[in-house]
Amino acid sequence: MFRRVLIANRGEIAQRVIRACRELGIETVAVYSTADADALYLREADETICIGPPPGKSSYLSIPSIIAAAEVADVEAIHPGYGFLSENDHFAEVCRACKIHFIGPEPETIALLGDKVAARELAKKAGVPVVPGSDGPVEDEARALAVAAKIGYPIMIKAAAGGGGRGMRIARNEPSLVTGFHAARAEAQNAFGDGTVYLEKLVENPRHVEVQILADKHGTVLHLGERDCSIQRRHQKLIEESPSAALTPQLRKEICDAAVRVAKAANYHNAGTVEFLLSRTGEFYFIEVNCRIQVEHPVTELVTGIDLVQQQLKIAAGEPLKVKQADIEFRGHAIECRINAEDPEKDFQPSPGRIDLIVPPGGPGVRLDSHAYSGYRIPPNYDSMIGKLLVHRQDRPTAIRTMLRALDEFVIQGPKTTIPVHRQVLSHSDFRAGDHDTGFVERYLSPHPRIAQGKDG
Amino acid sequence: MDLKLIQKLVALMERGKLAELEVEDKESGLKVRLKSEASAQPHAAAAPVVHMLHGGAPAMAPAPAASTQVGGEPAKPAREGKTINSPMVGTFYRSASPEAEPFARSGTRIALDQTLCIIEAMKVMNEIKAEISGEILEVLVENGEPVEFGQPLFLVKTD
Repeated sequence: MFRRVLIANRGEIAQRVIRACRELGIETVAVYSTADADALYLREADETICIGPPPGKSSYLSIPSIIAAAEVADVEAIHPGYGFLSENDHFAEVCRACKIHFIGPEPETIALLGDKVAARELAKKAGVPVVPGSDGPVEDEARALAVAAKIGYPIMIKAAAGGGGRGMRIARNEPSLVTGFHAARAEAQNAFGDGTVYLEKLVENPRHVEVQILADKHGTVLHLGERDCSIQRRHQKLIEESPSAALTPQLRKEICDAAVRVAKAANYHNAGTVEFLLSRTGEFYFIEVNCRIQVEHPVTELVTGIDLVQQQLKIAAGEPLKVKQADIEFRGHAIECRINAEDPEKDFQPSPGRIDLIVPPGGPGVRLDSHAYSGYRIPPNYDSMIGKLLVHRQDRPTAIRTMLRALDEFVIQGPKTTIPVHRQVLSHSDFRAGDHDTGFVERYLSPHPRIAQGKDG
Repeated sequence: MDLKLIQKLVALMERGKLAELEVEDKESGLKVRLKSEASAQPHAAAAPVVHMLHGGAPAMAPAPAASTQVGGEPAKPAREGKTINSPMVGTFYRSASPEAEPFARSGTRIALDQTLCIIEAMKVMNEIKAEISGEILEVLVENGEPVEFGQPLFLVKTD
């Protein structure tokens, strides 16, 4: 096992990794930007190093700064958390060149799965269904129109290097395909430096179901069940739960087996997530693999009792997985609500600033992963997440009731938060019935759904 | 070197007419610098040094407020001058090689763009250059020590 690990991230995930390391007896080195100098979790680290000014590109995204810190602090491994450099194959490559373990898959795997067109080919070869589409980049308008005519409208235009909803357009007819095609290319070029786009059939009102994978370097690939992340706003997840109310035991087995096949085909090591779209009629389609620990990983930790971050550290250190697939038991129901400093009444605009008072909820079945405290200033430079509130109960209705209770207890004075939105969703009859999809938030919570969306003309 | 001339100049200094003097003898290459005690203490009270500015720019001590002069005796700060802060995380080296002379030590006069030290990051030796001119009062980091972003490296009395 590693003796000393550097955490190349900030906020709640930095804190989460520090906690896992401390429980395993690993020394931690936390790096931070000047915007995070006051963060309390830094005190839990054995060493802290300021790596740059607030902008991400000068600090948490600066490979030279992070590698220099790793060398100065003499660590054996770097945990990249999520976001920032977590899925940057070049960073993983630099780590390898510097003889520092990158806690995640190999750079070749990250590069392969980061290319969505290549990842789709890989899934097809592994016998995993993919959404019908262009089977590769679409270079011009004429080809886009031909492909769309073949697979049928509505069509989704997606950036090959995309993520987070950028470089994506929906087209329901030929004119909107033509405008959407050019807009998506321009957006992708700006956002990712790569304007390559591809086309897919749009699966309407799907659910977002993803499967957690753990794979060691000795050929063992396990799945830890699914998470249903259908409650999203503009492709940003708000609520995640496990198990999914939409899966039958048969469908669950099929989707989890498919995820394992994808991971094996990609020669995947460490923790990863295979994402699927699930149609109303029970067909599932591979979307992508996330080569990192995810924000919502505690949902799986609660239902399986397996500490995913500790497993990441052990796998990266070369240890074989001790648990077997047959040993993994799924108990009860877990729900996560992302508590963001956003104003739901002002189109979810970020609400950074000082938290005057924060009183966390507690009691049976409640877990809170948060780096915030009374007097903490949420910097305007990074994402707006204050924390992740989770509950774990014996069944879904009980979990929903516990979550509503915990949300009521949760006091955050100062910034506006997403707590009222979570209350609304959890109280809605469709959500309670488990009858919801990725369009739920736009349909029920947006004040002017058609205008607010803008792209779903 | 004309000793009598120097004595005359020192006398001028003692009378407060001259604050600082540098004499160079071209033949011997000898250089003498004299400074009156009065000039070592700036007339205005310098406010405490502000650390942690970005981009390696010198941290500016705020201009003394007029009110601090009321009552005559200015408050004596713990340290005076400006700091030159590390623009990056890495390992601090005072010289180009272990055998070489340090780029700067206390008392060194520094000019704009003069190399002050080297910070090694990712096996790259980054020369850190002065963005202010003046005199090094103190080198704040030991040779070979790790430094983080924004860490003060030198205390400088600016011109």
